[in-house]
Amino acid sequence: MKRNRIIISMLVVLLAAGMLFAGGAAESVYPDPEKNITIVVPHAAGGSTDLIFRTLAEEMKKVSGVNFLVTNITGAGSATGTNEVINSPADGYMFLGAGTHTTAATMQGLTNGYKELDYIAALNWDPFIIAVRNDKPWKTLEDLVNDAKSRPGKITLGNAGMGGATGVASVGLNLAMNKAFNVTPFNGGADLIASVLGGHCDVGIFSQSEVVANSASFRPLAILTEGHSSLPSLASVPNLAEAGYPTITVPGGSFRSIMVKKGTPETAKKWLADTAEKAFNSASFQKFMKDNGLIPVFSKLDAFAEYDKGIIADYEVILKEANLYKMTN
Amino acid sequence: MDVFLQGFSQIANVSTIIWMAIGSVVGIILGALPGLSATMGIALMMPISFQLPTATGIGLLLAVYCGAVSGASIPAILLGIPGNPNAIATVEDGLLMTQKGKAGSALGGAVVASFIGGIGSLLALVLFSPLIARLTLAFGPAEKTTLALVGLVIIASVSGNNIWKGLLMGAFGMALAFLGTDPFSNQLRIPFSKFLATTPLSKGLDLTSTLIGLFGISQVFFELRKPLLVGQHIEPVKIENIFPPLRKILSMWKIILSSLGIGTVVGAIPGTGASIAVFMAHNSAKNITMNSKGKLDQVGSGSLEGVFAPEVANNAVTGGALIPALALGIPGDAATAVLIGALMIKGVTPGFHLFATNMSLVYAIFITMLLANIFMASFQLFGVRLYPKILSVPQQILLPLILILSFIGAYAIAGQATAVGIYNLGIALVMGMIGYFLKRDGYPIAPIVLGLILGGMFEENFRRAVKLAGGDYLTFFTKPICLLFMALSILSIVLPIIAKKRGKR
Repeated sequence: MKRNRIIISMLVVLLAAGMLFAGGAAESVYPDPEKNITIVVPHAAGGSTDLIFRTLAEEMKKVSGVNFLVTNITGAGSATGTNEVINSPADGYMFLGAGTHTTAATMQGLTNGYKELDYIAALNWDPFIIAVRNDKPWKTLEDLVNDAKSRPGKITLGNAGMGGATGVASVGLNLAMNKAFNVTPFNGGADLIASVLGGHCDVGIFSQSEVVANSASFRPLAILTEGHSSLPSLASVPNLAEAGYPTITVPGGSFRSIMVKKGTPETAKKWLADTAEKAFNSASFQKFMKDNGLIPVFSKLDAFAEYDKGIIADYEVILKEANLYKMTN
Repeated sequence: MDVFLQGFSQIANVSTIIWMAIGSVVGIILGALPGLSATMGIALMMPISFQLPTATGIGLLLAVYCGAVSGASIPAILLGIPGNPNAIATVEDGLLMTQKGKAGSALGGAVVASFIGGIGSLLALVLFSPLIARLTLAFGPAEKTTLALVGLVIIASVSGNNIWKGLLMGAFGMALAFLGTDPFSNQLRIPFSKFLATTPLSKGLDLTSTLIGLFGISQVFFELRKPLLVGQHIEPVKIENIFPPLRKILSMWKIILSSLGIGTVVGAIPGTGASIAVFMAHNSAKNITMNSKGKLDQVGSGSLEGVFAPEVANNAVTGGALIPALALGIPGDAATAVLIGALMIKGVTPGFHLFATNMSLVYAIFITMLLANIFMASFQLFGVRLYPKILSVPQQILLPLILILSFIGAYAIAGQATAVGIYNLGIALVMGMIGYFLKRDGYPIAPIVLGLILGGMFEENFRRAVKLAGGDYLTFFTKPICLLFMALSILSIVLPIIAKKRGKR
């Protein structure tokens, strides 16, 4: 009897020590090479956000040797995927393909979004382009706006969904034009392209790749950034100031970044930010951005948090004016 | 011709053939497992395709796509459980054929039909791409609203014996479709929104998990009602003629053509998809067989016709969905959206640009599509002799197996998202229980699915069309396509009533 008890107590001590050791080991090595790091992309596979993070994931794999997996969790703007990250453990093994969609979804009260996320790295901007079908009468943005102002609400301005960055850009633009347009949300970029090409919607706000893919049928009127496109076929598209609207500023693009759940260990955050930086600076990711006309704006951790304050301030004004701001506290 | 040869040389190598063969087998297996869809199969294979030359990579993805669409019919025919939404309309006649002991010819017929659908739509893709692409652009929100209306009318035809029960189930499905977030404002539209707001339920019911529950899990519960026949001798399944006789196939030419047309065009219209096309094809075949004066077997009675129509249509969707994807850069369905992504990562932007500058790649894609269909048909015809053996598996093994696979399917569609996966399990289980009670009391399941799929499409496009028209509800009466579809919907309600009255006289 007694011997049994001794053996049992020894086993218990051994077990406890083993658990301690195992726990300690897990803490000290991040990332565990046996584990995958999951990138949650809150948009559908094949879209432009998805492609950016898939390309980045390949590079992060190469520079770190750790396996990065992309998973697409769509729905409710981008809130469903964001919530998945917020509801998962803050262990650094899952991060969010974040950006302006996260800002928009948070302000619309669809997710606690950036309030429960920490900043890892800012990546790039994909500037938007206002375009019409090339057989429409408007040759310039001024033509279009003057026509719209002469018959308010008759010309339709489509976006890829109210919750996303094109939604905010279209609403912001419309507010600046005294609500001359009938702003209509579509079910994603592809739906919007088809509707503008088919003549069901007059004007659309597109990302550059969408305009390039249909360059034979679209007439780009303006690019919604300060500079010009780095893509040769779109380099001559005027910016808002050149198109005659120097006073209008809208967040005219979609911004992409990496965020993790609040409370993720500092070492993990630093490791992720450094790995993302290396991947970002790799020749192939730089080429990918150049080929797709993406504007690099890399910053990490605290510097990125500071950068995002500017985006939040811009968005707050537009969403409040458009009565889309539903964020509590 | 030079460009064609250039395209051919891009894929005329052993590695393309091997990868496509692998893709085809993987596709068939994924398609046959409940819940694992073509889209998911393509997304799974995407990292591999990165490492391959562009044409080979696309060939691999197309092989998975065609395989998965065709594979879904296997469990639909043998067990009454569609592998993915592509096969939901195959269940009715497929399962009846199996119960009549004609599983072999149902499966064989499905393979032949899939091949015809795939090749037929490929021809449409090669010959009429620009034309069909332009046709699909004519479908704006207003037109899609009325297309959904045509689909909703089909509820009456999939209702079985009691039309009122069918309509009730259709309404139930539509009500389920409205759960989630408002498509315009993204505001929550769910009960208990305070508690459910941050859960995956906030985006509404996951379609695939709902299907797994309604068809798969409910079927297991239903079988459990019968006393388990442990130790009873099970008749070995005989495999009769697998190939339908050529004369039979030729006699169905009307069904084949109409299903091919429906599948190709519906597949090409962005935002629609196979699940609508298969029901429309099934319905059209029903009308054709009814008016065939006994030359064709009635759809709905366990006939080859009822398997052929949806199986031609769902593989026709593959070629159809590629039309706007390649010609306009607009995906025709979720699976082609992933394909476009795979091309873009390779630096190839589909659309007009592609046809103007890289025709050799376009030809290469056409040829791989042909190969994908050939591989699919060969592997499937080989497998068709083996699949029915699953029916000889004793129930006490088969039922738990189906239950496990169903739950794995519902969980797996969420990928790495464990929270979504766990909610999917819940949805599948609850829908399984609902499905059980409905089946027990003779309520048809198919109308729920139609309501669920079309309800969302109808609402979203209806509101968008009215918004585009500046709030004018009469916009639907100003467009020729809308008027045509509305007339079609009315006719398909009225004509059968007239025919019935005449028949009684």
